[in-house]
Parts: sequence; structure tokens; C-alpha cells
Amino acid sequence: MPKLGQGILKGMGITLKHLFDRKITRQYPDYQRPLPERSRGMLTVDMDRCIACLQCMRICPDHCISIEQEKRDVDGSGKPKPYAVGFVIDDSRCLYCGLCVEVCPVNCIYHTEEFEIQAYNRLELARQFGERPVDPTIDPRPAVKKKKPAKKAPKKDGAA
Amino acid sequence: MSLDILNQEPFRFLISFGAILFLVLNLAAVLTMAERKVSAYIQLRYGPNRVGPRGLLQPAADVFKLFTKENVSPSRADLWVFLLAPIAMFIPAAAVWLVIPFAPGAVVADLNIAIVFFIAITSIGALGVIMAGYGSRSNFSLLGALRGAAQMISYEVPLILSLLGIVMLTGSLSLVDVVNAQAGGFWHWYFLPQLPMFVVFYIAGLAEARRVPFDLPEGESEISGGFMVEYSGMTWALIQASEFASMGLISAIHVTLFLGGWQPPIDALDLGSFNWIWFGLKTALIIFTFQWIRWTMPRLRMDQLMDFGWKVLVPVCLIWLFVTAGAMLLLPSVF
Amino acid sequence: MLREERRAREQNRGGRASGRLAGPDVRDEFGLETLEMNMGPQHPAMHGLLRLILELDGETVVRCDPVMGYLHRSKEKISENRMYPSVVPITDRIDYMNNIAMEYGYCMAVEDLLDAEIPPRADAIRALLNELGRIMSHIPSIGFLLLELGAFTPILYAFRERERIQNMFEAITGARMMFHYIRIGGVKADLPEGMPEQMWEYIEGLEKRLKPDFMDLIEGNEIFIARTRGVGKMTQEKAIEMGLTGPPLRCTGVSYDVRRDYPYGWYKNLAFDVITDEAGDVEASYRVRIGEVQQSIRMIKQILENLPEGEVMADLGRRIRPSEGDGFGRAESARGEYVVHVVSDGSDTPYRVRYRTPCTVNMQLLKEIVPGHYLPDIMPIMGLIDPVSGSWDK
Repeated sequence: MPKLGQGILKGMGITLKHLFDRKITRQYPDYQRPLPERSRGMLTVDMDRCIACLQCMRICPDHCISIEQEKRDVDGSGKPKPYAVGFVIDDSRCLYCGLCVEVCPVNCIYHTEEFEIQAYNRLELARQFGERPVDPTIDPRPAVKKKKPAKKAPKKDGAA
Repeated sequence: MSLDILNQEPFRFLISFGAILFLVLNLAAVLTMAERKVSAYIQLRYGPNRVGPRGLLQPAADVFKLFTKENVSPSRADLWVFLLAPIAMFIPAAAVWLVIPFAPGAVVADLNIAIVFFIAITSIGALGVIMAGYGSRSNFSLLGALRGAAQMISYEVPLILSLLGIVMLTGSLSLVDVVNAQAGGFWHWYFLPQLPMFVVFYIAGLAEARRVPFDLPEGESEISGGFMVEYSGMTWALIQASEFASMGLISAIHVTLFLGGWQPPIDALDLGSFNWIWFGLKTALIIFTFQWIRWTMPRLRMDQLMDFGWKVLVPVCLIWLFVTAGAMLLLPSVF
Repeated sequence: MLREERRAREQNRGGRASGRLAGPDVRDEFGLETLEMNMGPQHPAMHGLLRLILELDGETVVRCDPVMGYLHRSKEKISENRMYPSVVPITDRIDYMNNIAMEYGYCMAVEDLLDAEIPPRADAIRALLNELGRIMSHIPSIGFLLLELGAFTPILYAFRERERIQNMFEAITGARMMFHYIRIGGVKADLPEGMPEQMWEYIEGLEKRLKPDFMDLIEGNEIFIARTRGVGKMTQEKAIEMGLTGPPLRCTGVSYDVRRDYPYGWYKNLAFDVITDEAGDVEASYRVRIGEVQQSIRMIKQILENLPEGEVMADLGRRIRPSEGDGFGRAESARGEYVVHVVSDGSDTPYRVRYRTPCTVNMQLLKEIVPGHYLPDIMPIMGLIDPVSGSWDK
């Protein structure tokens, strides 16, 4: 059975004090917080540097990057080199984990500071960077039949 | 055809009743905004401040939205009971304002049994809650209705007992007499000789208005809306309006009975027939404390609520009644 | 006959509400039935998507069956088809209030598989962020406990703290919630310039704010005490029998903490107390969580004072392809003991990953402890467990 007393009155005193404190809300569209430099926002690709190595497509945990590769002679050297003729990033699947950014050997895919992504149609979120759209259902790494590993004695017990 | 005819019955009554209804509905709308702003400031944020200058047109936007919403009702609900329940909740909250004196001589219906009128009509609020809960025919609503019935009926006892001290001191059941007896500065107001009753009426009023810490019928966390869970659109708006109106009503009665009604705190600040400003200020202060308590405390569980009402509030009332009676006998010159 | 039965049942249960439970004879004699109700997956206060099938006798709960699985996202199956580094963002999303511990457990398991040596600075940074993540999770937990009791204000003060910590995390890792910072072999990158000083300032401010904003507002409040004292009372034997870990276990008095009993990473060099409380009810779990926040503050100060220099990532080669075998990583997340078991078959992707999340086991409390309590008591008991729906469903 509760007895009204100091605990409640002390609590009420704290809320009354907070009534006159400075507000911690920042009114969003009028005030934009400066983002730290490591922020991971929307991805963007610098297609001039892309060498179509397909590393980003393989490592993406969500299969959100789809690349169609073609051998084409782009820099006039006479030798056809891999070229990404279709490059689609699907923002509705992107995890913003940054793995593709880390793995790219030429640093052509990178994060911007955009985070306000909106579209009226879900299919518009698949942004196209190359010349033509790509079928997103192509699996970058076809399934490998797994074999059960041989039973080994545990190396150490307890935690690592 | 002079305007004097408007001062005759029944025109005077009809026009002032219309004015009271207008006042109550606007009070409900303004209180939704006030509640949100007070809660926001306590929680270190801004509250609605986009619609209109500093957000003052927010109630208009809310009401407009609720007008255009669909009134969904459960398919197997008892439609008569379901749809009449909000009306049954709103009318008591609006009707008692007829007997409250706003300024010297400005009371719509000067009943000489105004206190009994208040008690009787407030009891009907419990009926509205039960109608809403049973009519919805849903598990959560049923629980909310049962809790609401138990709570509101059992907290009427301390509510009524705490008034009896004032009735003894004033010698009459009329609210106009009660306010007139508190003339002469704030040391004559009844909250000083009746301090325990002041607190008990406040707490019982919180329970009658179903506010935290007594909002278990509406328990948002366990039964997500309790008796109101199946309402939407204008029916829900009417239930909310009745809740805020009854909060305003309890504050107004509290002020009238214990804090001197329209009496100014010091005689020098008497404003004559503009004393409704004092009335408004005091009522606003009590409403603010209702909201302050809501945003600070958790809610009581049902058995603790009933324990508190019956085992703490009622004995306090009874003891203080004896003390008041004894004081009136022993010091007849003062009282 | 009836009175003896009632007395026997009362002694067995031991809860306050047991005297009001009508026995089966009374029910049949008067034609009373229990109400079977569903506190469904869509509910404002269910900590996620949980369905509770309740059988109520008036307001007393006779039977409580939790039905879990509404947020099952097959994390373990997904992990089987991703390369080892790609699994880390997946583990982030298991317990979304305390992500950093989830990554830590998985990375420890894979490092166990590879027998890797982690540089000391990486260990220290991992422990530092783990403790910050613990604060980030415990303070909103207390807020949620109070939100469900009906007090709407402490949760907003709690989220103010969480937002400030999230700002620091954003400067360090790049994201506010799904950090993806602890990697196999170390951490992704070093702390940015000025971050240790910023953390010091924040931690000292938090220490000053903890008492007036949380403890004074909550602890003495008589309504809070009335709602939480004696609710969800467990004995130590019952807690161990159910397999609880974390604050629900420590609030009964059992002193078990993976950081002290099986130390990992930088925790071998840190001095801290394991907070336990004898009472075993919801109020005790509140005290345990506040005590753990204070211990985390103490640990963060110790780490910041002696942060070692060096590199932050071990050199594990270009590709992580462990040999066949299994690895085992055991961490203390904010909700309890978190264990990851990784089985490798020699290829790029794991053969099997098993996440033993603490909430899946802690939720058994609901089935065992809730019967005998009132319906409004379910909420404080869920505050005792403090589950997160991603963590019990994976």
C-alpha cells in the first residue's frame, strides 16, 4: 500500500525543474547537424574508375549491387578489358555496412552524406549507374554444396 | 423588441447553456494542446509548434482531422450501447458547469442543492465507462470497463466525504454560498482549515477523472486503451473531450470549494465582475498540477488503488470530519 | 476440503495473489470460467512482437504461454551463405539495442577458429565500446520499465543519454546504430582525434546526471516501489534451473558474470564488481542495472586512462578461410550470456553458426513466474527480463 510522501514529491520537483531547462530538441529541417566524417550515407559510384572486378557484388551481405560485366576497349589501348555496362545499387536493400567501400581496389564506390532517401515507387530505389539496367536476381555466388566437416576435438574449453 | 427580453427566462438559460457548451468544448480542445505542451516541456522537447504561430492552431488541426476520420466499430458490437457511450460520458462532464459560479452573480443555475447536483451527475460518468467497455464486446474493453466501474464507484466515497466538512462550515449546500463564505483574502479560503480534505478531494478527483496514477481503466501499457480501444474518429474524439472536460470540471469544483472560487487572494485586487479572471487563473493552476502529476508518476495497480481508496482516504476523511465537528463545537466564535 | 486445497495451493505458489485464485471445485460449482485472452503480437508495450496467450481468472493470470517467432529472420541460415566478414553486419541486427556485444561474440568465435592474436589496442577499444554499449542498452531498459508502468518521462531522459552516446559512436564508427566496427582480427579503424577527451567529458557528465535524473526520480517513488517490490520474485534455485543469465540471474543473488568468470579480451586487466541483489524481484533488477551502469562508467575510466598504443587490426591475410573445425566465442551482452559457435568446413562461408542469445532463454521466466500474478504485473516482469525481440527470435 503506497504512502504518499517524499519520494513522489522529490520526483515531482525534478520534473518541475526540467520544465524550465533548455530543450534538447533540434528542429530538424531548419537545423542540419554536421555529420562526422566517417558517416555512412548513401552509396555512389565513380564509373570512370570502376574496373568491374565484381568484388563489391560478392561481398555485399544483401546482394544489393548487381553488375553486368562485358569486355570492352575503353581506354584505347587495343586490349578489351572488363567494363561494367550495367551497375545497379538497390537502396531498398542496402545495409550501409560499408563492406563494398572497403573492398573496392580502386576506391570508386564510396559513401556520401545523403541519408534522406525517398521514392514514390519501391522500384525507383534501384539506382542505375551504368548504361543499362541489370536483372537483380542473378546470384553473384552460386550455391556450393557443403560437405559436413570432420569432427575434431575442441581446441580449448571455455571462452576464447 | 429590446434586447432586454434576452435576460428573461427561458432565453437567459438557453443562451447561457449554449455558452457553457461552447466553453466546455473549447476547453477540451485547448486542454489537449496544453497537455501536449506541458508534457513536452517536462520531457525537454518542444511539443507541437508547426501549425500556426508557436503551434497554437494545433487543436483546430486535430479536430479537423478527427471529423474526417472513419468511425470504425467492431462487427459484433452492440451498436446502440457502443455509440451512446461517448454521449453518456460527455453530458455529465458538461452539465455540472451550470452550477459553478464564475463571478459574483454570474452563475447559470443558482441551485440551493448544487453540491448534491454535482455529486449525483458525476456518478453517471461511471455508467458511460461501463457502456463503452461492454458495448465494444472485446476482451480488452471488458477488462477496462470492469476496472473503470470498480475504480470510479469506489472513489466516489472519499470524494463525497471530503465535501462534508465544507458543508458543515458553510451551513448550506449551495456553491454560491460556499464561495461567498470564503470572502476576505486567502486566509479565509477553506483549504486552510480543511487541508486533509483538500488533499483527499484532489486525489479522489484524479481517480474520478481517470488520470495517472489512476488511469488503469485506460491502461495504455497493458490493455492499450482499455474501454476506448475500439473507438476511432469522432466517437473517440468525444470520449477524449469528455475526459478533458471532466478534468477541467474537477479542477473548477476544487477551486470553488477549497480555493475561494472567484474570490481574489487579497481584497485590494478585487476586480468586481471581472473576477472570473481569478477563477480562471486558479483553475488553470490546478489543471497544471494534474498534468504535472501525470507526466511524473507511474500508475497504480488495481488492488493497490482500491486499498488506497478504502483504507487510507476514507479513514482520513472520517477522522477530519470529527475534528471539524469538534472544532465547531468548541470554538463557535471562529467557525 | 476446498479450504485445504486452497491452503495447499497457496503454500506452493507463495505469491501475494494466490489467495484470490478460485480452485477448480469453486469454478465448477458456480459455473465460473477463466477468460482466455491474447496479448497479441501487435501491442504497444510488448518489447517487440510477442504473443502471450493468457488465461485469466478475474485479474489473476492462471496460465501464460509466450508464443515467439514473429520476428524470425533466419539469421543462422543467412550466416551459412555469407563469407565470414560479411556475417558481421548480420550479427549487428540480432540484438538491436546492444549491437556491439553481438559483433564481439561472433568475432571472438572466428578468431578462436583461426587462433588469431589480437593487438592490445584493439582489445582495449573493443572493451571500451562494449561498456559504452552496455550503458547505451541499460539506461533505455530502465526507461522502458517505467514506460510500461505508466510514467512517460524517464524514457525520454534515457533516450537523451542514448542519443549522446550514439553521436560518439557515429564519430567513431560511422553509424548510429548498426555499427559494423568490430571486425575479425581487431577493429575497423582507430579512434578519431579528440575522441578520448570527448568520452571523458561525457562520462563525467553522465556520472553527475545519473543520480538526479534517474535515481532520485525513480527509486524513492512510492508508486514505483509498490508496483515492483515483490513482483516476479524468484529464488536462486529456480533461476538457475531455468537457465537465466545476466541481470535476471544476478538480481536473485547468484554472482555469475562472464567478464569475471571466463575473462576475455581486455577484461583481464580491469577491476570491477559484479552487482548482485538478494531480493529477486523487479526492483532488484532495477538496482542491478543501475549498479552495472555505474560499474561500466568505472571501467571506461580505467580503459581511457591506460589506453595502449599500437595498431588496431591483426594481419590475417586477404581472405578469411579457416581450416575445418569449430570456434566458440562467449561474451557478456547487456541481457545475459551470449555465445556463438561457428563450425567451419574449410571454405569461404561457415558451415553452421549458432547464436545462443540470452533472451531466448530468459523468456522462459514468463511461463514459470507469471501465473499467480495480476495482469498489470506482466509488464514489470517483462521489465525484469528486458527482452529485445530481435534477440529472442534472431
